[in-house]
Amino acid sequence: MTVRRVLIFLPAVLILFLLQSYFWVPTYEQQTRGNPRRLHEYITASIGDASILNPVLSADSASSQIEGLVFEGLIDRDEELRFRGRLAKSWEIYEEAYFYVNEDALVPGLGKADAAQVVELIKGAKKTKGPWSRALEASLDLIRDISIIPPKEFRVLKKVRTLGGKGREGQVEIHVRAPPRIRLTLGKVDQDLFRNLSCLLGDRYFSSFRAWKYLSAPPDLDGERLKALGREILPATTHNPVVVFHLRPHVKFHDGHIFDAGDVKFTFDAIMDPKNLSPRVADYEPVKAVEVVDPLTVRIVYKRLYSPALGTWAMGILPEHLLNREALEAEARRLGKDPKNFSIRQSAFNRHPVGCGPFVFRRWKSDQFIRLDRFEDYWEGPANYERYVFRIIPDLLTQEMEFYAGTIDSYAVQPHQVKRLSKDRRFQSFSGTSFGYTYIGYNMRRKPFDDPRVRRALGMAIDVDKIITYVLHGQGERITGPFVKQTDYYNHDIKPLPYDPEGALKLLEEAGWRRNREGWLEKDGKRLQFTLITNSGNDLRKAVLAIAQDAWKQIGIDVRTDLLEWSVFIQERVDKGDFDAVILGWAMGIEPDLYQIWHSSQTHPHQLNFVGFKNREADELIVKIRQEYDHEKQVQYCHRLHEIISREQPYTFLYVSKWTAVLDKRIVIREVDEKGNIHYRKITPTKTGDYTFYFNRWIKLPEAPAFMAEG
Amino acid sequence: MPGEFIEEGKAALPADETGRTRVQEFWRLLGRNRMALAGLVIFIAFFLVALSGLFLTSGKKPLFDPALVRLQEKLRPPLARPNLETLAPGQVPALGVYLFGTDDLGRDVFARMLQGAWVSLTVGFVAVGISVIVGICLGGIAGYYGQSRIRADHVLFLIVLHAGIVLLLLWVRPLWAALVAGGLWGSVLGSWWRKVWKGLELPPRLNVLRKETLSVDTLIMRLVDIMLCFPSFFLILTVVALLPASIYNIMIVIGLTSWMGTTRFVRAEFLSLREQDFVTAAKALGLNDLRIIFRHMVPNAIAPVLVSATIGIASAILTEAGLSFLGFGVPPPHATWGNILSDGKRFIFDAPWLTFIPGIAILVVVLSFNLFGEGLRDILNPKLRERHW
Amino acid sequence: MLSFIGRSVIQKVVTLFFVSVISFLVIHLAPGEPSQVDPLNPKFTPEMVERFRKEFHLDAPLHVQYYLFYSDLFTGKTVSWKDNRSVLGKIWERFLNSLPLFIVGTLLTWTLSFPVGIRSAIFRGGIYDRSATFFSYLLISIPGFFFAYILIIFVVTRFHVPVIGMETFGLSVSSWVHVAMDRVWHLLIPSVLGATGGIAVLSRYVRSQMLEVEGQDYIRTARAKGLPPEQVHYRHALRNALLPFVTMFGLILPGLIGGSVIIESIFSWPGIGRMAYEAILARDYPVILTINFISAVLVLAGTFVSDILYLIVDPRIRL
Repeated sequence: MTVRRVLIFLPAVLILFLLQSYFWVPTYEQQTRGNPRRLHEYITASIGDASILNPVLSADSASSQIEGLVFEGLIDRDEELRFRGRLAKSWEIYEEAYFYVNEDALVPGLGKADAAQVVELIKGAKKTKGPWSRALEASLDLIRDISIIPPKEFRVLKKVRTLGGKGREGQVEIHVRAPPRIRLTLGKVDQDLFRNLSCLLGDRYFSSFRAWKYLSAPPDLDGERLKALGREILPATTHNPVVVFHLRPHVKFHDGHIFDAGDVKFTFDAIMDPKNLSPRVADYEPVKAVEVVDPLTVRIVYKRLYSPALGTWAMGILPEHLLNREALEAEARRLGKDPKNFSIRQSAFNRHPVGCGPFVFRRWKSDQFIRLDRFEDYWEGPANYERYVFRIIPDLLTQEMEFYAGTIDSYAVQPHQVKRLSKDRRFQSFSGTSFGYTYIGYNMRRKPFDDPRVRRALGMAIDVDKIITYVLHGQGERITGPFVKQTDYYNHDIKPLPYDPEGALKLLEEAGWRRNREGWLEKDGKRLQFTLITNSGNDLRKAVLAIAQDAWKQIGIDVRTDLLEWSVFIQERVDKGDFDAVILGWAMGIEPDLYQIWHSSQTHPHQLNFVGFKNREADELIVKIRQEYDHEKQVQYCHRLHEIISREQPYTFLYVSKWTAVLDKRIVIREVDEKGNIHYRKITPTKTGDYTFYFNRWIKLPEAPAFMAEG
Repeated sequence: MPGEFIEEGKAALPADETGRTRVQEFWRLLGRNRMALAGLVIFIAFFLVALSGLFLTSGKKPLFDPALVRLQEKLRPPLARPNLETLAPGQVPALGVYLFGTDDLGRDVFARMLQGAWVSLTVGFVAVGISVIVGICLGGIAGYYGQSRIRADHVLFLIVLHAGIVLLLLWVRPLWAALVAGGLWGSVLGSWWRKVWKGLELPPRLNVLRKETLSVDTLIMRLVDIMLCFPSFFLILTVVALLPASIYNIMIVIGLTSWMGTTRFVRAEFLSLREQDFVTAAKALGLNDLRIIFRHMVPNAIAPVLVSATIGIASAILTEAGLSFLGFGVPPPHATWGNILSDGKRFIFDAPWLTFIPGIAILVVVLSFNLFGEGLRDILNPKLRERHW
Repeated sequence: MLSFIGRSVIQKVVTLFFVSVISFLVIHLAPGEPSQVDPLNPKFTPEMVERFRKEFHLDAPLHVQYYLFYSDLFTGKTVSWKDNRSVLGKIWERFLNSLPLFIVGTLLTWTLSFPVGIRSAIFRGGIYDRSATFFSYLLISIPGFFFAYILIIFVVTRFHVPVIGMETFGLSVSSWVHVAMDRVWHLLIPSVLGATGGIAVLSRYVRSQMLEVEGQDYIRTARAKGLPPEQVHYRHALRNALLPFVTMFGLILPGLIGGSVIIESIFSWPGIGRMAYEAILARDYPVILTINFISAVLVLAGTFVSDILYLIVDPRIRL
């Protein structure tokens, strides 16, 4: 019966065909040991794909991992987390400070003084030792040059709410006759300059400057507005920190074009161009101007004191010649798009980046892999690995299996796997403290969290050490404050909260919470009851959620828990301040700038101080820290701030997790000394825990080498 | 209607020539279909386990506490004895042994499975309950009133009715008061409609309001078409991802995205039942429509619905497991078999029982539902019954 | 016939319109905003967030957004918010990746279900029938990812060959046969997993159709005539039982753009399902809505095709 035969024959053939393909597939063995090229490739796995390979536009970690290899910044951090020159050979930081001559103020010993007199006074004070304080002396010593900027007249257009316009915004033209201004060039940035100078020029010399006097505006502007405008247009004092980068000569982009100062300026302009919608605008907003002094010198002037500024220049530099207006217009015309609306965001560059980093971009197949080849003309010499591959494997379990089979060299190891993998003799593992911490944040606007005793008690009820041992498998450390633990900013004198449920109960009792008959804590007939929330999709936070709930239940607190999807969690709950307690984490930068997260001005909806932490002294310190360019002083302020935060316990600081990396033992560092001898060295993490620091020197050997020292 | 797949089940169960009642016949047939019987037995056992799970794992001091964390006892294999030195007296598991081992936080998997049984069962039943109710109502309306046409004033009436109820729900607290007020509002408006509006002579311009438009059947079937246009797992995923995750949302979403099949069966059944004599007779007796629908027609149309409901419960449990895998399942503190499984999969090499116990449990229960549903289909469909030639 | 086609096309267009409105509303009224507007990134100041909202027209009233989106869609100008690439281009790329999975899965489903279903109908109640029933239900009762992991672990530890991805990564052989066979191998497990549900359901359906037909009078007649049972089953019964399946061809269409997120993420298969899933998580509205729209079009086209096929195949229906 043909029909019947066909019916059986067809599926049989199909299945046989599918199954026979097994014999054509290379086994893992053939792919790894049997493939000599495999030694020259470094393959890493990630759960997510990159989104846009342009350092100016991307904000996700997968993209920045690739960008770090393809692009190069002016500077980066070395093993000790100090700045190190990359595209910039060296740099210097100094300050230009300006103040308007206050013609009405009475200067001690001079009376009303004009510009020349003031300059003479300062110069004189600098030369002679006077009866002034050490601070003023120090400030004066920093002054390198004083000059007078003559008075000038100009017009500005300002958007203001005018009285006549009934609260509507209107353009107002203001005529300004600015008084003479004095420029002080300082050898170092000095945030106390004007405070110290006012000892010399009179206490109220700067504060009594009446800027509005020099403005002539339409009469319907009321007095207060005019004063505000005056302060804005003619600020009495201005700090303009200046950074001058001396660039490395003969550095090439991957297409052979020579890198110069124009590219730096172009990158900055690209960030600030509103059309590009760069997420990095906030970092560069304090920049007043980027000036190309000569092809190898860039001068960056800042509008105000902002010490985290230098770190932002670690960002990758874009090639101007591929992305400038002409290039974009040509591309738009080629694609048949409107050149007017065509910005860098639309350019094909973002999927085919060209930088001057150690690896050249080759190929990107969405959700499969990104392939980079080493750049032979890299200024520091080519990397040892010929190829870098970024594979996208969204499932952690299959990642682990591929790693085991040797087809990938590294992946994000889960804490529970570390123990198993580190026993395996094929692998070497490293771990180090990461830059982010996990915490439980309390909404301090709500009762009972407005009481620091309650917050402290809640923290004391949780056995964090146990969480670290059992949930993180030892891959974590306790943390007591908001600074990166491996920097000097972190105050190691502060002891973490002890695990002490009894003490917690005692503290709660002081705060008025007592156990009732059923064992729940109660105050004025109301149970201590709240909801602890976190986002879904993070297993560690979920575990902490369960543990905290259980721990608090033990001391009689009735806690409910909720898991919410990330954007709902953020936008509906955290942003709106609609929560009792949250489990979250911050990924910290090295810079100790805590303004957005801890300053009391940032407690409004949609701002990051969502717990509502307000402390006058902390506010002052936060502002001082971000204005201080002197490391020692910064450290001192940070330690004090750390103390305050730890006393107040707005968060229960839980732990900073350790990252762990597991690598094949055959991967080592290969170095060639001046004589051309090759040395192999075991990979060791740097003091700050970065094991990929020498990535360019890594190579995989056919056999695992035996190192003398480690045996 | 071309192109519509009407599942085969034809329902009216007449007492057959041997004189056995429908129920007896049902059991006789079920007894012969051993797989379906096994399915039923497992199903009942599962139900009992779930029910006992509900009682044993809830309350302030439950016998099995699924939320009790004993970190030092994590990832113990099944049947391991607890390490008594490190445990506080309240932490020792009730059976003196970790029957199914412990998970990554040292919680007793047995307790979690017990609790999860009830939650999984609820998810399945409520979701399917919602879809069946929606399906029967819409299918019934489409089948029974199918040919009558909607007039503009009907739409107005419904808008006013629902707007009123929504406003009441928004403003009146507590909920029961709002519901009662909503009911009152509905009956007042309904009687006004019947007494006043129907008899009202309208000025010619307002007659537009009584112009007939679509038929009810078209409207409902187009609604079904629209719903079928969404890929169902994605619709569920989108909604669950966008809404705050809670066990109720998941049940409601699964329910509201799976009623279309039921609607179609019921409509098809109703279309044919409507023409049958017993319905005509009931109408002639002057019974009201609700009574005809729910007392006379629904019981005759229920068979294919039952079959698809049984299988629907199975697939709801699987859907929940799939959502858990993606991290959108029922959130803690509720344990479901789906989220035990998907939490456990991380530890498949270190603690395989965390994957296999819930995996196999789901497999067995879902299989039993499916087999029972399949048996039910065979039994309720006289055409498919075994014949002896 | 023509009038039927005309009416049905109009109907489908109206349905499509409502689908577009509903999907648009569901997505825009739900809480959460695109991840580009992530306010918890300290780098995003409120002004930035506002600028992004403006760029994405999120500040416009809903009906304007609706108009803007669909007019972009029809002129092919929609771009993804995530990476500014054309949405249609992205979908096309993913579609090509998903296509082999779909083809092999469908082939497996359709070639396997018929022999299995027919055989269990012929030997109904027998051991074959019962075990076929049992196994087909067993396959659809396993939670998909559980099954997938077990299969992967089994194959990887037993046979030491890669199973994830679309091809063996970094395959260095140059002969095209190797490459093609390598791809076939990588298709095998995910498509089998994708097909299990289909096989179970379809074979059951074949079985019940066969049984239905076998109960008909003309089959009895054929049997009574003394025709060999083979011929009765395969010639008389099968042909009539096949009728409804012809129309099911139309219903395969939507599967073209579907794709299981779970299987695709476990097997790192860069298919449409995963893209849609990631788009949902990142609130990449253009991608979600476009996929939704295309799949709705395919569903409607599918029912349309099956209506037409029904008309052609079934001589009893004449319009």
